[in-house]
Amino acid sequence: MSELSVVGKSVNRLDGLEKVTGKAVFCADITLPQMLHAKVLRSPHPHARIVSIDTSKAEQVPGVKYVATGKDAPNEMYGMVIRDQSVLAKEVVRFIGEPVAAVAADSIATAEEALELIKVEYEPLPAVFDQEIAMSPNPPSVLHPDYLSYPRRDWQPGDPRFNTGLPNAYFHFKIRRGDVEKGFEEADVVMENRFSTQKLHHAALEPHAMIARPEADGGLTVWSARQAIWRLHAELGLVFGIKPSKIRIIAPYIGGGFGCKISIGEEPLTVLLALKTGRPVKLVFTREEVFLHGGSRVPMIIYIKDGVKKDGTLVARQMKCILSSGAYEHDVGIITRNCAFGAVGTYNVPNFKFDSYGVYTNNPPSSALRGFGSTQTVWAIESHMDMIAEKLGMDAAELRRKNILKEGEPNATGEIVHSIGARECLDSIVDYLKLDKKPEMGGNWQIGKGISLGSKYSAAPNIASATVKLSKDGSITVYHSADEMGQGCNTVAAQVAAEEFGISVDNVRVVFADTLNCPFFPGSTSSRTTYFLGNAIRLASMQVKKRLYKLVAWRLGVSDEELEVKGGQIYVRQEPSKKMTIAQAFGAHRDTDGKLVQIDDLVGNDTWVQDYTPEDVETGQIDPRQAEQGKRLTAFYAHTAKGIEVAVNTETGEVKVLRCASANDMGQPINPKMCEQQIEGGMVMGIGGALYEEMQMVDGKVLNPNFTDYKVPTAAIAPSIENMSAIFASAPHKDGPFGAKGFGESSMVGMEPVIANAVYNAVGVRIKDLPITREKIWRELKKRAKQ
Amino acid sequence: MKQIVSFTINGTVAEVFVEPWRTLAEVLREELGLTGLKIGCDRGNCGTCTVIMDGKAVRSCLVLVPQAEGKKIVTIEGLSDNGRLHPLQEAFIERFAVQCGFCIPGMILSAKALLDENPNATEKDVRKALKGNLCRCTGYKKIVEAILDARDRMRSAK
Repeated sequence: MSELSVVGKSVNRLDGLEKVTGKAVFCADITLPQMLHAKVLRSPHPHARIVSIDTSKAEQVPGVKYVATGKDAPNEMYGMVIRDQSVLAKEVVRFIGEPVAAVAADSIATAEEALELIKVEYEPLPAVFDQEIAMSPNPPSVLHPDYLSYPRRDWQPGDPRFNTGLPNAYFHFKIRRGDVEKGFEEADVVMENRFSTQKLHHAALEPHAMIARPEADGGLTVWSARQAIWRLHAELGLVFGIKPSKIRIIAPYIGGGFGCKISIGEEPLTVLLALKTGRPVKLVFTREEVFLHGGSRVPMIIYIKDGVKKDGTLVARQMKCILSSGAYEHDVGIITRNCAFGAVGTYNVPNFKFDSYGVYTNNPPSSALRGFGSTQTVWAIESHMDMIAEKLGMDAAELRRKNILKEGEPNATGEIVHSIGARECLDSIVDYLKLDKKPEMGGNWQIGKGISLGSKYSAAPNIASATVKLSKDGSITVYHSADEMGQGCNTVAAQVAAEEFGISVDNVRVVFADTLNCPFFPGSTSSRTTYFLGNAIRLASMQVKKRLYKLVAWRLGVSDEELEVKGGQIYVRQEPSKKMTIAQAFGAHRDTDGKLVQIDDLVGNDTWVQDYTPEDVETGQIDPRQAEQGKRLTAFYAHTAKGIEVAVNTETGEVKVLRCASANDMGQPINPKMCEQQIEGGMVMGIGGALYEEMQMVDGKVLNPNFTDYKVPTAAIAPSIENMSAIFASAPHKDGPFGAKGFGESSMVGMEPVIANAVYNAVGVRIKDLPITREKIWRELKKRAKQ
Repeated sequence: MKQIVSFTINGTVAEVFVEPWRTLAEVLREELGLTGLKIGCDRGNCGTCTVIMDGKAVRSCLVLVPQAEGKKIVTIEGLSDNGRLHPLQEAFIERFAVQCGFCIPGMILSAKALLDENPNATEKDVRKALKGNLCRCTGYKKIVEAILDARDRMRSAK
């Protein structure tokens, strides 16, 4: 590869200036002429039959334009995998917070006043909250008795994995490799444990917001703080029977996503109100509503059983994961499958058995959260690796090193490993921590150090498109549909395009996240954007260059292949003095047919397609011959190791993070400073998830739906400048744009177990249920003191 | 019952005719179009609605609009001087303190109130001053670095 001039450089973010001056527009900042405001009446019951709804008084409030209930809702349901959710509850509500009615009025205050006048009579039904009880053959509540007859999206019809035989378990994913029982027999040590993860709030600072405007031609424009606008585009078309080409979705800047803005929320409801009133309708969530219907990380119960040889070789691993989906599928069906990739991406395990279940419960719906299941499976695995190392009397890093997958080996799904920087990540963390030195702190404080290793896949199959335009002045415009939610995709897009044309990013403009003006993108989810969008922009740039070279080659008296473009000039590679500016190339000239032409721009568009083969539904394995030919089950893996030093108070159980580091393998970093941003942010989010954060749930009710009672790390709690390090350990990917991979999620993967391992190292207390609160540690310390 | 409230906003006197129970955050955004400030929680926990009122950083979602009567208010829109960025704004860009940007106007204004009062603020002071401004993207490191950098720029400019 020739030397890079823009890629790999920390150029300033394209959105920096707008964002420090308050000019950046977020969805809630938009006001349209004639716009109405919506408010939603939500179910106070976790499971109930709606007996009657009386909206007559609400309708009489001056300024109220429409009151919608289930009877207004289309019959078509929406959903991510299973279409199981109605635009408004029709007969039954299944969680506290489910939309039952909605008001469109000329002000928020009027809409709120009307909400209070809606009378709903409910008949409570039995409910189930614990996913293990919900998964039993005779659960106290069956949420969707007919879920098998619901329509599904993007999944093979008749896929047997949906038919679990258990009334609330709607999906069962399996991996079978080798003979796990035989493996346990051969092992010298077999260890078995149960881990769990909490319901975690994304705490993206921007509450979900949306505006729907009916158009004169029967079409629809929707502005939404939504990740994956093309999914919303498809769902709205289906639910309302509107021709997709008449629907336009725009995502302005998004104030943080982390997965909470993937699963479709109240957009269909807002559209319903807009269609009923014929006016634009805006709905902005309160923070409480974000807690209720904005998604959460999937609470997971994980049973893990490992068999190892005395020398540390892993011979068998068995895992069973039970995911609390909440009342609807809401993306958890895909997480049920993909969480397995978090369990197979790092270690070589010859005998592997994995079962995961997506289970309906009467809790608010769960969703993706930075890791899509990987943080949860890695929580169990990396805690267990330390427990095994202790049992074997082996160094925890050495145990991990011994079992890391190697380039060219098949992993437990049969996918061939490529671009694995795990070993380099681990080594740099061990180096950072200086594990042999154990400092003293004095008082009631004990210091402990911990390590963890992990990975995050990026999902396949997928395709992504981009459009690139070269203008007469030599500038480039990139059109794409990825979501700019802070990760910096516009800057990455500009850097890739700038590199392709040998210009600086100042000469690149980016038009983004608008289905009318930008081509398809599957959404900034699954750490996908840099890899998929980067590739699409490279391909589209090549289209532009091809046409550009054709335009000038004969005028310079050479063939197309001999040309190159850089800094606004097209020149002959072997004879750089033979050149032409882009303005000259586009200016009035005669073409090969002698026709006089003049052009203003050249546009290229292309699509990157990930080479993919689906897994066998019974074994989770891909065909070994296809794997040998380079077909993949995932797009790539981003690897990470974490290292941390904590102090634990033996009197109170309090944990202080003294210093921490995250080593990440993102292939070729496109913008190193932006990569640091991801790493640092992921670490602090992980500290919150490990130590403080939990949605307190009692009988399906969120007890702490606000930032007073739900603690998010502040600047005062986060590690100091000196004590937080971002380390790069890059293994370039052969298919990545300039060797890059995406890694936004892996920045958080492994944070919870690294803290658990460090706490254990400090005071000998092993916490297996997240979060690792001071109370849990204190109770264990008390128990031990009594013994 | 609506009432007239007047205050100075970014150096200009403004008069609004609004219900007295409305918050300053809402009124600045909806009546005056100052959408740089954000509403992330509407109960004073997240800091995205921070403005400077008579020199102090306040959560405008906790201020009822009559409480702003006669006060001098600065929002993010009033920070740059004739198109010249404030040193905090420059430092936030150059130090990569910005990600999604939703918390940034509030962060910058909290930092400005601190540095105006204490031009020698340390990392610890900065972190304490930002306690009421949540950020979920950055992990705070680059924000704190940017503020310390701006502190140095502001000191050397004096």
